[in-house]
Amino acid sequence: MNVALALLWKDLLCEWRSRDRLVAMIVFSILVVVVFQFAWPAAPKEQTEALAPGVLWVIYLFAALLGLGRTFTLELENDALTALALAPGTRGFIFLGKAAASFVLIAAVQAMTAFVFALFFRLDWLDAAGGLALVVALADVAIVSVGTLFSAMSARSRFREVLLPVLLIPSLIPVLASAVRATAATLGGEALTLAALQPLVVIAGIYAILGFLLFDPVLDE
Amino acid sequence: MSRLRLAGTGVAKRFGRVAALAGIDFEIEPGESVAILGANGAGKSTWLRILAGLAKPSDGRFVAELAEGSARTALSREQLRGRVGYVGHATLLSGELTARENLVFAARLHGRRPSRAEQDALLAELGLAELADRRVSTLSRGTAQRVSIARGVVHEPDVLLLDEPFTGLDEVAAARLSRQLSRLRARGCSLVVITHDPQRAVELADRALLLHRGRLRGATRRSEGEAFGAPALRDALVRLAREDEANAEAGAGRGAGERDGAGRERDTNGDRGERAGTPERGA
Repeated sequence: MNVALALLWKDLLCEWRSRDRLVAMIVFSILVVVVFQFAWPAAPKEQTEALAPGVLWVIYLFAALLGLGRTFTLELENDALTALALAPGTRGFIFLGKAAASFVLIAAVQAMTAFVFALFFRLDWLDAAGGLALVVALADVAIVSVGTLFSAMSARSRFREVLLPVLLIPSLIPVLASAVRATAATLGGEALTLAALQPLVVIAGIYAILGFLLFDPVLDE
Repeated sequence: MSRLRLAGTGVAKRFGRVAALAGIDFEIEPGESVAILGANGAGKSTWLRILAGLAKPSDGRFVAELAEGSARTALSREQLRGRVGYVGHATLLSGELTARENLVFAARLHGRRPSRAEQDALLAELGLAELADRRVSTLSRGTAQRVSIARGVVHEPDVLLLDEPFTGLDEVAAARLSRQLSRLRARGCSLVVITHDPQRAVELADRALLLHRGRLRGATRRSEGEAFGAPALRDALVRLAREDEANAEAGAGRGAGERDGAGRERDTNGDRGERAGTPERGA
């Protein structure tokens, strides 16, 4: 667990200094909200509320893709990836540290995006903020788990910019579908039931366990 | 004092159809310092990465053991990685972190938390005390390489593996690095160093191994006198290069690494362990 915590500390410190991924994800998310504002003018409030969960998750997904794509490219500088591969013990803890750092960054961008989205489209999401945060957190566990694994797999490939979305998007379709349904329910004022969250819990659990177990050979040569 | 013994029998590594190592036998005893010399593409880095637990051999048997008296305990690859330090061509450092932060991070990856005094002592030993809180991205190549060595030894490894650590350094920086490595060796840390420079090999190692086209082609020890000198090692390297040129001119593709009609590598002379330089003893 020391390895995971060390990596979390290192990644967040590096990000704080470079703001490399954070700026890219924030600018992208806000730009897409602005584009939707112009592409989707003066729609009735009911229509906006109905489409908002889907639109929000499309923004979340592509912003996450942008951030996850750089998770391991940073480690290619000075071949720092080799230093990680040299850590003794189970490499699953490297996966955990990397995934946790991505989770923090992506969640921060998503919170800001939700705020800007609600502001632009005059939606009152304050009462649903807790439920939305829970849904987003569960979906993010799945996204960063599979994203970290695929990002590591594609990091040394010449085609990494193409490879990551090709691998990641299909595997996130079940996450996206469940997250949109749960988000619609919570924004619609429904109480979040275990049944609504169950698919996300199961997928997040499976992806996190797979990521932990499969990470070792990914860093092997 | 190092207690780690590394040994291999018929160790081979293939990348697709390319054989980087064609089956080598070796032993590196606890406390011993070894230099690996060879031309580009000889398989030196691949060998070092197997020794570091970064790569698995495609064939053959590689064993890492902790020697305690007559008892020997085999280590898994996960355990081996905790016992070796590795310094590559690249510095393996995070540019956004300072020299000190890189050390702390490397130590934490190995489950250690060096005190501030321990960090200061290590940084001072490598002449980095003044630069400890500078970001690595702002340091010169030579200084970053010293930070890289500090990173490689911060967890007090039994063996320090160095892959061409002098690459890109000017004479002054290289000489300084050589002195610092000699000091580490004097403290009981084994060194396995890859270098193109026979002079550096002689300075740092007790034994030199010549690797050529994935095969061990010679070895010499300090006790062999002139055979271990830089001129003799240089001559052996030149002889191997000439042998390649002669093979290329002959056009028949004799020797290791020859490809058949289907582009596969085939072994025509079965010369595993053939000695082209001085006789191999104990390698």
